Amino acid sequence: MSPTVSPGELDERAGVDPVARGLWHPLVAVHDLRRGQQGSAVLLGVRLDYTMAGDGSVSVCRSDDHDDRRPVQIAYEIVWTCLDEPATPLFETPEALETDRRIVHAGTIGVHVSAPRAVENFLDMAHFPYVHTDILGAEPFTEVEEYSVHVDPDTNEVWATDCVFWQPVAATTSTEGQMTDYRYRVPHPYCVVLYKTTPVDPDRFDVIALFCRPIAPDRIEAHMFLALLDADNSDADIRRFQLTIFGQDKPILENQFPKELPLDPRVETPIRADKVAIAYRRWLSDLGITHGVIPAA
Amino acid sequence: MTVGGWQPIAALDDLAPRHVFQASLDGQELAVWRADSGELNAWENRCLHRGVRLSIGFNNGAELLCRYHGWRYATGTAGCTYIPAHPADAPARTITNRTYPIVERYGLVWSGREVDGRPEEVAELGAHTLVLRALPVWAPRSFVLDALVDHRFAPNEGLDVDPAEVEMTCDRRQGSIVLTAAHGGSSSTVVYWVQSLDAHTSVIRPVLAETPDDVIAVLRHHARALRELVDRVERTVPSRSVEPQGPLETPVVVERSAGSGPHIEVRVRRKWWTAPDVAAFELTPLAGVLPTPQPGSHIDLRLPNGLVRQYSLTNGPGESDHYRIGVKLEVDGGGGSTLLHDVVTEGDVLTISGPRNGFPLRRDTEHTVLIAGGIGLTPLLAMAQAIRLDRRGFELHVFVRGEDALAFPDVVESFGADATVHVALSPAQTAGRIADVLVAARASHPGALVYACGPAPMLDVVRATAAAAGWADPAVHFEYFSNHHEIDDSTPFEVALARSGTTLEVPAGTSLLEVLRGAGVALPSSCEKGACGTCAVPVIDGTPDHHDVYLRDAERAANTTMLSCVSRARSDRLVLDL
Amino acid sequence: MTIELYDYVLSANCYKVRLLLSLLEVDHELRTVDFHPAREHRSEAFRRINPMGHIPVLVDDDVVLRDAHAILVYLAAAHDPTGRWYPTTDARVLGEMGQWVSFAEALMSSASAARLHVNLGYDLDVEAARRDAHALFRVLDDHLWFQEKAGRTWLCSPEHPTIADIAVFPDVVLSEEGGVSRLEYPAIRRWCDRVKAVPGFDVMPGVFGLGMS
Ligand SMILES: N[C@@H](CCC(=O)N[C@@H](CS)C(=O)NCC(=O)O)C(=O)O
Ligand code: FES
Ligand SMILES: [Fe+2]
Repeated sequence: MSPTVSPGELDERAGVDPVARGLWHPLVAVHDLRRGQQGSAVLLGVRLDYTMAGDGSVSVCRSDDHDDRRPVQIAYEIVWTCLDEPATPLFETPEALETDRRIVHAGTIGVHVSAPRAVENFLDMAHFPYVHTDILGAEPFTEVEEYSVHVDPDTNEVWATDCVFWQPVAATTSTEGQMTDYRYRVPHPYCVVLYKTTPVDPDRFDVIALFCRPIAPDRIEAHMFLALLDADNSDADIRRFQLTIFGQDKPILENQFPKELPLDPRVETPIRADKVAIAYRRWLSDLGITHGVIPAA
Repeated sequence: MTVGGWQPIAALDDLAPRHVFQASLDGQELAVWRADSGELNAWENRCLHRGVRLSIGFNNGAELLCRYHGWRYATGTAGCTYIPAHPADAPARTITNRTYPIVERYGLVWSGREVDGRPEEVAELGAHTLVLRALPVWAPRSFVLDALVDHRFAPNEGLDVDPAEVEMTCDRRQGSIVLTAAHGGSSSTVVYWVQSLDAHTSVIRPVLAETPDDVIAVLRHHARALRELVDRVERTVPSRSVEPQGPLETPVVVERSAGSGPHIEVRVRRKWWTAPDVAAFELTPLAGVLPTPQPGSHIDLRLPNGLVRQYSLTNGPGESDHYRIGVKLEVDGGGGSTLLHDVVTEGDVLTISGPRNGFPLRRDTEHTVLIAGGIGLTPLLAMAQAIRLDRRGFELHVFVRGEDALAFPDVVESFGADATVHVALSPAQTAGRIADVLVAARASHPGALVYACGPAPMLDVVRATAAAAGWADPAVHFEYFSNHHEIDDSTPFEVALARSGTTLEVPAGTSLLEVLRGAGVALPSSCEKGACGTCAVPVIDGTPDHHDVYLRDAERAANTTMLSCVSRARSDRLVLDL
Repeated sequence: MTIELYDYVLSANCYKVRLLLSLLEVDHELRTVDFHPAREHRSEAFRRINPMGHIPVLVDDDVVLRDAHAILVYLAAAHDPTGRWYPTTDARVLGEMGQWVSFAEALMSSASAARLHVNLGYDLDVEAARRDAHALFRVLDDHLWFQEKAGRTWLCSPEHPTIADIAVFPDVVLSEEGGVSRLEYPAIRRWCDRVKAVPGFDVMPGVFGLGMS
């Protein structure tokens, strides 16, 4: 797979967001690397080349300056890198390290939308009956009940807790409809992790994450990462479920305008169900993120 | 880019039943659709909620539903009628999409930005015309207009003649080009308009000034000729990018006011006796459009003698050009109904408030039980029509004193077996019947909801019977028609405006925002549900009781700002920096 | 024995087959091929089923078929007792169906290629693919507009849709994922609505149904 770009993607000026440039970003899934082979991908308007050496080590550099080697780390089955010097370490997800979990990278998919729009969609329960009909929701059960939102003062992550929604088929392991409990966590402007009830174990949560590589302000590649308590289903079945869900969201995201997320709350019409999105937008404003958003005036 | 002036945006035939047509005009995308009533709509192609194109949504014949979260917008007004994530809430009136003028003429559908009147009159186009195939061109409108001047085609009577032998005459008008092709004594005239999709793309829309015998052959001839023109034009213009960026303007911040203000002047378009003691009125606005009715909403009607009475709207989905109410003659009702029955006639002008909804219909159920006593039928009529459109189950029970006492019998009859009229029962019989209904519905539809409206004694029976039959309290909804006001048990408080030195009373049931606006403070608002932060006011003293979801925890704790649409006071008094 | 379909959920070609199976109400089982990211279609095991390494593949008893269009022909001929989806008695209609199935092939190297570029990063000249797709859409929109004028609903002349509609529909309805807008093609958009209204119609991720759910 050779990640080419569409016209307009290779525009470094569009990527000049000092905050975003100081973050770790997902570059390529480990399963898409071949030993001894080189590939390239665009991050924030900058083309990067990556290579997996014969010994399995991965290196990343700017395509226009091979001496400019970028930092690399492997986490969540993905190669992560940073355009400047990393201002903060990559967030951790302890559940992803639990040894009894199924770790599945469910695939990457390009979407013509900004990363914050994709994150916000991931945080949204109200669309389940309409977009993920008969899987994650079904009419007429459309109500989003009150839930809690806070920004963790220690980690500066946005959390939504006590979220519940009625779901016909919550996961590949489901056999019947259930009220599903969710917790959402935004540890990074372009990454989001959800914890959801699993039919397998009432005391633990499945972990499903969306990590976006911002290519251009209106273009991403989305990585879907799962750490599940599911011993029975094949990787192919888990991926099928996940790709089905994401494939349903994609045309919604691609029909959203503007593609960049407006941070001024008056530009769109939020409702109480959007509490976590309201907090996310304000948090992005506080961080000073400009790539992929329309800053509030 | 030309802005202004009517342009054709579609052929009338393009607007198939229940279709949502994606149109574009000078770079602005529109969602264009026709209601089952025939009403045409051209709206900004963006849902107000999260900006999703409405053209991917669903036209249910009376409303356009957004694909993302199912918000509904009514035909005509584009006002939001339902937000599924919050089934118990009535959407704020401010949630109204941007509409564009739209009219039909010459078989084409026209719109424009700042336009009035009608699209230009073209003398050549009489009673018999034929809309020819329209073709998109990847070229700016001005290019296309210039090229059309040299366009050639054959007259209907000689479609096979060598184009070189046809004599063409051209008349370039304000917005159109009129071409006539003549050969051997016969001639045909076509009027061409060019719609600008965006700065790089146009659509040529021709109309033939007659209806030929062999329609298909003529259509084919013109489509072929126009295709050649398009090819020629596209060879001469610099190539357009293949992937247009969604041709939409960046939305601007719209600070919406509360709509059409506190009072609306309406004219009685129609008055009739729908039952011997029930007068029905259809009210239409003197100017502009009426705010969108929702099932369960009511208006305040200000009578000529100064009395104010509340009446529920019976409007079904799609009925947005008028309000319909039913007024029962109450002999000891303070004179309001007498006046309406005896004095007010068709053509009279009355003053009403915009609709308020203290009895919103939840739609998150498979089955709804509607129980009406007498004139309590009116809000339930609106509800039943809305549920029917959604093809969900309902049963309407109307209790009336006598056979002929049923108001709006035609609407009730249209519900067929879903409606039952219970005639002339004693109070005890009524109670028995209500018990039967509630017990049976509870057994067959455990997730059903009940809506009841009628005289207080009957509603008390419904309340007690429902509880006895095992209905959960929140599943049963009432509207006492003697008191249409939203019941808000929060306490009143006092608010002092530091800068203007005024003190105001915020009564229970009224928001701070409403009180401030009533006192002439020009406060912007948007969602009116405490979610957007638009109506924030600075607090100098006192402790707000925050009910919003917008403020950060620290802001909330600081008590220096509050959202006036939902938040109230913990202290007896607040001082605002206004 | 139930029919088995080797299938990938986001593949437009697999969707053609799933759609016809749904319209014909034919029982079947899906065998998920982990096309992306695992590239299972290139595996040894899968090449034993289809040496060309493509999905979909249909197994119906001893019939093993690759190629979506071949499978559509087979399914309609074998499992549609009404014969309406693939009418073989009229030479003209046979020709029309063949013509539109070839058109569907042309969509694969244009509209579908652009979608694979955007979604999965396939290396190709996406501008050229989009330009080709628009050229095809102009032909299709012309045809469907004149069909409407002649009182016809579908790609071919019969009153009932045929496998030609099924072969062409998926890459058309998914074109916007590849950056090919259908704003300029109203007759195509109306035809897409009509396909969605056929009883038994089924969606795939990326394709909305006609109503809300
Ligand atoms: N597929 C997840 C879905 C995760 C996903 O891809 N989608 C996001 C945003 S649409 C989400 O919130 N899903 C909720 C959910 O998965 O239940 C699941 O397997 O259960
Ligand atoms: S974006 Fe339209 S309902 Fe949410
Ligand atoms: Fe989703």
